[in-house]
Amino acid sequence: MRVAGNHGAGRDDQHGVDCDGCREAMSAALDGEADAAEQARIDAHLGGCAACRSWQRDAALVTRHVRTAAVGAGPDLVDRVVDAAPAASVRWRGVSARAGLAAVGLAQAVLGLVSLLGAATHAHAMTDPFMVLGAGMAHATHETAAWNLALGVAFLGGALFTRHLAGLLPVLGAFIAVLAVLSGLDLVAGRVEPGRVVSHLVLVAGFLLGLAVVRSGPRPGTGPSPGARWWRPGGRSVVADDGPTRPAPTPWERESDVA
Amino acid sequence: MDDARITALALRARDGDRGAAGEFVAATQHQVWRLLVHLADPSVAEELTQETYERALGSLRRYRGDAPARSWLLSVARRVAADHLRRRSRRPVSPAPLAEDDRPVGGAPRGDLAESVAVRHAVDALDPDRREAFVLTQVIGLSYEEAAAVCRCPIGTIRSRVARARADLVDALADRPAERPHRSG
Ligand SMILES: [Zn+2]
Repeated sequence: MRVAGNHGAGRDDQHGVDCDGCREAMSAALDGEADAAEQARIDAHLGGCAACRSWQRDAALVTRHVRTAAVGAGPDLVDRVVDAAPAASVRWRGVSARAGLAAVGLAQAVLGLVSLLGAATHAHAMTDPFMVLGAGMAHATHETAAWNLALGVAFLGGALFTRHLAGLLPVLGAFIAVLAVLSGLDLVAGRVEPGRVVSHLVLVAGFLLGLAVVRSGPRPGTGPSPGARWWRPGGRSVVADDGPTRPAPTPWERESDVA
Repeated sequence: MDDARITALALRARDGDRGAAGEFVAATQHQVWRLLVHLADPSVAEELTQETYERALGSLRRYRGDAPARSWLLSVARRVAADHLRRRSRRPVSPAPLAEDDRPVGGAPRGDLAESVAVRHAVDALDPDRREAFVLTQVIGLSYEEAAAVCRCPIGTIRSRVARARADLVDALADRPAERPHRSG
């Protein structure tokens, strides 16, 4: 459809491949996206190619037309859409959930420490009459104390670094579910004092607060975030567009690979 | 308004500051609307702009501030446009009636009205991928890197699409001898 004789991109003339590459580089230069080396190559090519000199003028003119084209003011949608934004309670809820989680973490850590000390003092007196799966009572108590302490630390860490909290919740949920069933059975059979079972409620509170923190949204600056990578797309340059495939890499393309 | 300020507004809006949400919309709505005028068409641009903000503000709680909020918002607008086009296959572009304010502004080159309309129609007739890259960089004013982030494609793809869009526009306007952008030859 091109008018005959009108600065064609002429793949048939001797400058064909260079012209395509040069025009891509000139286009980038018009947008301030070409570096000095590329600019020098453009200038070298333009020195001997009238068609590309003409193209450069036309491309610049078209670009100016597009950039300066006046358009209507567009609608003012502020009042119509602002209600879709998160409500003011969101921030307060997030902050209070984190504070609550930290408090629960502290309580849980104290419980863990207390049971650890208790286990340590009782271990001397015990002679371990019951061995279950290779662990005596004393060791089983140590394990429990270690878990309680670890959970307290996990809650505290989750309150500080909320980004890691979501990964903790499935583990906690499973732990609490199993513990609830076993505690119920033990209570009925009289194998545990109610006070001990009540102390497990701290775990439930931690789980619920953790859920609330996760649901109140991410906070900035609390560790690397998944999904951050898309903002830095790979630097590969000449990717299959829908245009004609080019015969071989030209200096222009290699240059733009770096860009 | 610069990107850092817009991003700061988005983060405050995320944390429940409705005033910041309003400022965020006010600062960005014109660009979103302009993008949608080109990616969809003028008759639905307002409706799609509203849909863009409803989606974006509704999912603002998941926004982490990793990417500039403007790019994030424009990528939402791009998805809204794509969904719209999927819902309703695009009708052939018919020349919209020229409104009062369609005339080039003061800084425009001394071209006549018909020329500017011709450029606009040539942009509308571009291949969709090329038009998107061209509009994001020329009309919205994004850098190639920002446009690549919005389109989730490599920078080189933006670069070559913009160049091809320019070549298409030069060709299209050269095909109309009476309205050639470069008259003197
Ligand atoms: Zn040339």
